[in-house]
Amino acid sequence: MLKYLFAKNEDIPSGSAAIFFGFSAIIWFVIGTGLGSFNAAKLAFPDFVTGNEYFAFGHMRQVHVMAVIFGWISMAFAMAMMYITPALGNNKLWSEKLGLWNCFLWNLGLTLGLTVLWAGITSGREYSDFPWPIDLYLATCVFIPLGINVWMTILNRRTQGIYTTNWFFAAATFMVIIVFLIGNLPEFFHLTGLTEAYLTWWFAHNVLGLWITPVAAAIAYYTIPKVTGNPLYSHRIGHLHFWSVVVFYSTPAAHHLMSAPLPEWLKSFASVEGVLILVPAIAFVSNIMLTMQGKWYMFVENIEVRFTVTGCLMAIPLNMQGGFQQTRAINWYIHGTGWIVAHAHLALLGFSTFLEVAAVYYGIQSIMKRKLYSITLANMHFWLLLIGFTTYWVSMTIAGLIQGAGKIYEVPYIDVVIAEHPYMIARWLGGSMVFSGNILWLYNMWMTARKGTVVPQGRLPHELAYER
Amino acid sequence: MSWNFDKPLRTMCDSATNEADKVLWEKEDLGGITEDNNRLPVPIVLLVILTVITAFAVTFPLWGQRPTAEIYEGYIKAMSNPEVLAAKNDQEAMEKIIQLNKGKGHDGMLERHPVTMDDLRIMKPEMEALMAKGVHMDEYEVVGDHVVMANFEGNKRADGTVIRKQPWWDKGYLIDIFYLSYFFIGVTILIKRLPPSSWQPRHNH
Repeated sequence: MLKYLFAKNEDIPSGSAAIFFGFSAIIWFVIGTGLGSFNAAKLAFPDFVTGNEYFAFGHMRQVHVMAVIFGWISMAFAMAMMYITPALGNNKLWSEKLGLWNCFLWNLGLTLGLTVLWAGITSGREYSDFPWPIDLYLATCVFIPLGINVWMTILNRRTQGIYTTNWFFAAATFMVIIVFLIGNLPEFFHLTGLTEAYLTWWFAHNVLGLWITPVAAAIAYYTIPKVTGNPLYSHRIGHLHFWSVVVFYSTPAAHHLMSAPLPEWLKSFASVEGVLILVPAIAFVSNIMLTMQGKWYMFVENIEVRFTVTGCLMAIPLNMQGGFQQTRAINWYIHGTGWIVAHAHLALLGFSTFLEVAAVYYGIQSIMKRKLYSITLANMHFWLLLIGFTTYWVSMTIAGLIQGAGKIYEVPYIDVVIAEHPYMIARWLGGSMVFSGNILWLYNMWMTARKGTVVPQGRLPHELAYER
Repeated sequence: MSWNFDKPLRTMCDSATNEADKVLWEKEDLGGITEDNNRLPVPIVLLVILTVITAFAVTFPLWGQRPTAEIYEGYIKAMSNPEVLAAKNDQEAMEKIIQLNKGKGHDGMLERHPVTMDDLRIMKPEMEALMAKGVHMDEYEVVGDHVVMANFEGNKRADGTVIRKQPWWDKGYLIDIFYLSYFFIGVTILIKRLPPSSWQPRHNH
């Protein structure tokens, strides 16, 4: 990477930024899930690694969360943007050099941010845990350069129209900058009390709703038509999806604070919008499923399609949970329990991860023009991720319901802890399966880059998946 | 941008624009990806309608609202009732206060949010000051040791009175109806600016 950082833009091979982002994302995924597995072990076995404050759960939890969100998920998004945006505009990335600097500064900033978090220096605001200088760094050195590269590539496209995926990419890279700058105002200006609480959850909700959800969906809009060769079922449904994400996802911050002393009208408004999150979900799932018509055999045969369709199907339980768990009638029961942890993992480790994994698989093979090193390892990766995640999600959902009952019926805390113990072990096992799967994935992609069979000109890697 | 409102549910574009759009749609290659022009399937439309109805229906039972200071107004007044003052201890005093306030419209909320005499003593000075001012106590909530404005709505006049107070059932719902209406009208217009869904592109032509 270092030799390209100071090279002329035209001397940098196309796709370099995407490749560096792709491998960075996988490495952060291994680190993030490794930390998650370690943290889960501490919850399952309270005597595991004690006596050192740096390995205390309170120090490590947010390092895991931020590594996964801003390392794995966001870098996989950047990887997808670096190769999909120009592909859809029939042009090249506006600046490979900017992309590489972006990747370098991103890794540097994230490493710094996670180090200070690990050291215990934190804003104490969930999902925006980084201290404000790191927030400013991420906005200026990570998201603004990413946005500039995406917007300029779209503006310089050689097509007249803009495909659905690029609407989402352009909008999300703009919205995430706004979310970062406004959502962190409490830290920049030391706002406290309800203003801080409200903006904290406005940030947290919109990092999910205006960054992770739309970009993950945008990737599926590319992967499925590209790999299956089918036209996207409906441009119209794409419109409904895009605008409903922008309109309904941006407003429900207050539904995270249903018991707070906020105006009840604001909570109800947010709660209605919270249920209406189902509108983009319905549009998205139906459009992708209908695009699959006549190509369902690829769900079995093709690794990218399998990951994408699985992620897409996960949007159904994800949005059914998300839409209803925030209403007053349900929130009083599950608020502050493991149910929410399960839901967050369904969004990040289920829905969005499965869609991004497909983009990284496809991107690395098609940019490097190399066939996947081992389809067996890829299949193992899929099943370890799916079984591991499902084990995690189911166990944490049950644990959350137990906690909810304990909370409502005022069961002594230690009794709830004892009742949850088997589910905490299942959580650790599930998380460890995901971690193991990711180590295999890193090896497989590394070997694909080093030793994968070269794909002949005019062929696509997935067409050759089962050919020797 | 030319408009045609002859058949607004079919298309809102004139035929020349539609023809140009069709040519572009069929000709353009977006990185090897093409798109069809299928309408929203009827079950999907029904599902969206059902979602909107559900969104209002499931949030409307306002059970679970945070209690306002208004529900404790009667308790604070009852603290100076001779019967309560004559009580032997706090427990008896609280029982009498609860008895005196039965059937005054907040039974359910008071049952779900019980307080003790110590709580009432903490609340009393700030509650009485607000009651003396004649403010709407339903706009205030008890947060920790303080009674603070939290549930405000509408614009206020210089004297502190509210220009318009929403009916009890409207907790953000009218705003939501407007918001949703703008959204659906906007998206419908956007979609109806496309060539009619009876036309499908012949890809690679």
